[in-house]
Amino acid sequence: MLGINQFPEYQVPGAVQHQFNPYENNGGSIVAIAGDNFAVIGADTRLSAGYNIFTRNHSKLFQLTSSAVLASCGNWCDSDTLTSILQTRVRQYSDTHENKEISLNAIAQLLSTMMYGRRFFPYYVSNILAGIYEGKGYVYSYDPIGHCERHTYRAGGSSSALLQPILDNQIGLKNMEEKPTIPLTVDRAVKLVTDTFISAAERDIYTGDGVKISIITENGVEERQIPLRKD
Amino acid sequence: MNSVLAPEIEQHGFNFSNCRRNEKLIHDGFKPPKATKTGTTIVGIIYKHGVILGADTRATSGNIVSDKNCEKIHFLAKNMYCCGAGTAADTEMTTKMIASQLELHRLNTNRVVPVPCASTLLKQYLFRYQGHVSAALVLGGVDNQGPHIYCIYPHGSTDKLPYATMGSGSLAAMSVFESRWKPDMEEEEGKKLVRDAIAAGIFNDLGSGSNVDLCIIRKDSTQYLRNYELANEKGVRNLDYTYKRGTTGVLSVKKIAFDVVEESTSGIEKMDTN
Amino acid sequence: MALNDILKHMPSVGDMLSDYKSTEEMDFINLSQNKVLSAPPYSNPVENLAKLHENNDNIKINFDHGTTTLGFIYQGGVVLAVDSRATGGQYIGSQSVRKVVEINDLLLGTLAGGAADCTYWYRVLTSECRLYELRNKKKISLAAATKIMNNIIYSYKNSGLSMGMILAGGDMNQVSLYYLDSDGTRTMGKVFSVGSGSIFAYGVLDSGYKWELTDEQAYELGRRSIYHATHRDAYSGGTVRVYHVKKDGWNLISEEDCLDLHRRYEAEKKK
Repeated sequence: MLGINQFPEYQVPGAVQHQFNPYENNGGSIVAIAGDNFAVIGADTRLSAGYNIFTRNHSKLFQLTSSAVLASCGNWCDSDTLTSILQTRVRQYSDTHENKEISLNAIAQLLSTMMYGRRFFPYYVSNILAGIYEGKGYVYSYDPIGHCERHTYRAGGSSSALLQPILDNQIGLKNMEEKPTIPLTVDRAVKLVTDTFISAAERDIYTGDGVKISIITENGVEERQIPLRKD
Repeated sequence: MNSVLAPEIEQHGFNFSNCRRNEKLIHDGFKPPKATKTGTTIVGIIYKHGVILGADTRATSGNIVSDKNCEKIHFLAKNMYCCGAGTAADTEMTTKMIASQLELHRLNTNRVVPVPCASTLLKQYLFRYQGHVSAALVLGGVDNQGPHIYCIYPHGSTDKLPYATMGSGSLAAMSVFESRWKPDMEEEEGKKLVRDAIAAGIFNDLGSGSNVDLCIIRKDSTQYLRNYELANEKGVRNLDYTYKRGTTGVLSVKKIAFDVVEESTSGIEKMDTN
Repeated sequence: MALNDILKHMPSVGDMLSDYKSTEEMDFINLSQNKVLSAPPYSNPVENLAKLHENNDNIKINFDHGTTTLGFIYQGGVVLAVDSRATGGQYIGSQSVRKVVEINDLLLGTLAGGAADCTYWYRVLTSECRLYELRNKKKISLAAATKIMNNIIYSYKNSGLSMGMILAGGDMNQVSLYYLDSDGTRTMGKVFSVGSGSIFAYGVLDSGYKWELTDEQAYELGRRSIYHATHRDAYSGGTVRVYHVKKDGWNLISEEDCLDLHRRYEAEKKK
């Protein structure tokens, strides 16, 4: 019922409350799809906090090797720290292994262990790792304390709950009696990623401005950028 | 206990009977449903022949856009309109109720209702509820004294200004006014200025978005320009998202025959579903 | 970092300063010492970590949770059955989690509670079991393996870990079944079910359980118990997996979508 809490102006001066708020939500959405011999990963390019846009052209994709790209969103300073340390470790691996690149599944486990190491003060990030390993496409997704799981498609970030159902329907073909038989090509995957972001930008205020898409094949990583609505 | 001799007095205003229960529910960890908010950029300026009001058209609940093309400029009287920011239901019901009081006032006095009258009614109403009716308003109109713009805050304070902005995008819009507004502007110049102020809110404030609505109130005419500019076009999708017949499983079928007696369509604004 | 790192290697002061490592090393100390997690910059992580999240409305760290798992021992060995759904709050994070962890040829474990907690510590246990094999030239017994796990979990008691595990395994002579959880419980038993759907699973399991079950009957009992839990518990669902553990190893018996099971059981009911 009514108490001093309802009237903060009347609280006694002198007793100062200190609060520790290390987390901030910087928004952003990420999507990844794995195909037979490729992986496609996309992220929007808006960086925001509250009702403010910090920048409209901000990449949430991090190329780790010639066959692995990590997308990371949530608390930007955490993403930045985590990915830079991960990039260092990836580099260290190749330096200590005669310039051999670290494999995708090794990165996947390394990231999981690193995130769990901070179990009691987690990185507030949503991570999706995509790439190819021995010629096949893979997607790994993470929860904030490092639970890692392999998928064929995955959405994360502020509109994950809007994007994941589209992928479940179009790629997972969930709950369908007569399933269409459209092969998943690179072209279709890229178009699907673009379309999901167009839809997300309509309804999620933290997603918009543009999408950056990385296409990972045996020939390396190709990047594309597509504009989205800017409101 | 209602009888002809001792009729029960009808309850006015808000019903508070669930307040204690709801407080208990929240205390126990129940998440209350989110009200639709209009994060909003709303503005109003005085120009040479009257006032121009402007608003964006986005309504949100949390981080989700709940209406991409809502109306935030509300009718108060023939010579008065009012832009609303805050909780959508509060702005809508407050302006509707004040509009009816103003119409009664006009019929009683048989003259054009002065804009300060509407401002006073609104501020008295909002002050009574101590900010719990969450409506932040920009009131604009022209009466026998000339053009007026009022800013009315949810707690009931008001400002009378030549140009005003409200809502989460108010800073973005005000920066446009502060740099370009001047007294006695022409109508075209004024429309351009209001449009630019709203666009600043739409693009730089995440609580505002979609389209620009304008309302021009002159000495003897008003013009409501709904969707004056479509500031954001929806992206064109690449793939086909139609389904073959039989995609959805049918568990059981039951046929109910009915006769068509009458067909009618009511005039509701169509939603964009492409 | 530099001064600390240099001093660390000086024999006279090295021991004292070995606790003061560079921040990066401290953050990821578990990469070199897998049982040590970095300490948070506040005391009492159970309460204070939760407080960090409630202060800010937009920020909710939802860890993957929710489950139904069960295991029971009968004349033919142990049956483990699990669902495959992971939920973060109201959101279904995944429908394809493998909740049975294959520790080695003889041992299996199920995971319930925090998915990251369980998978991480199972990975540590797997490495411990392998090291035991290499050191002692014989497979580790289930009793020893569960004790290792229990010791680790107990050292993290009251720090906010959330785990409920059923471990099953054989040592060539017999099979046994253990239940472990993050409170530090370690107990041997005949019938266990863990997770948000366990109350539903127990209902079916207890009514159908007896020692003399044949293998087929036991598989079906496990499967049906999980199916009924997925039917009534919103936090359980996806694929129902059934494993059989015998003295000399384990087999995966079936993996079926719970919708297919629902249709099959509905059709059986109508007959």
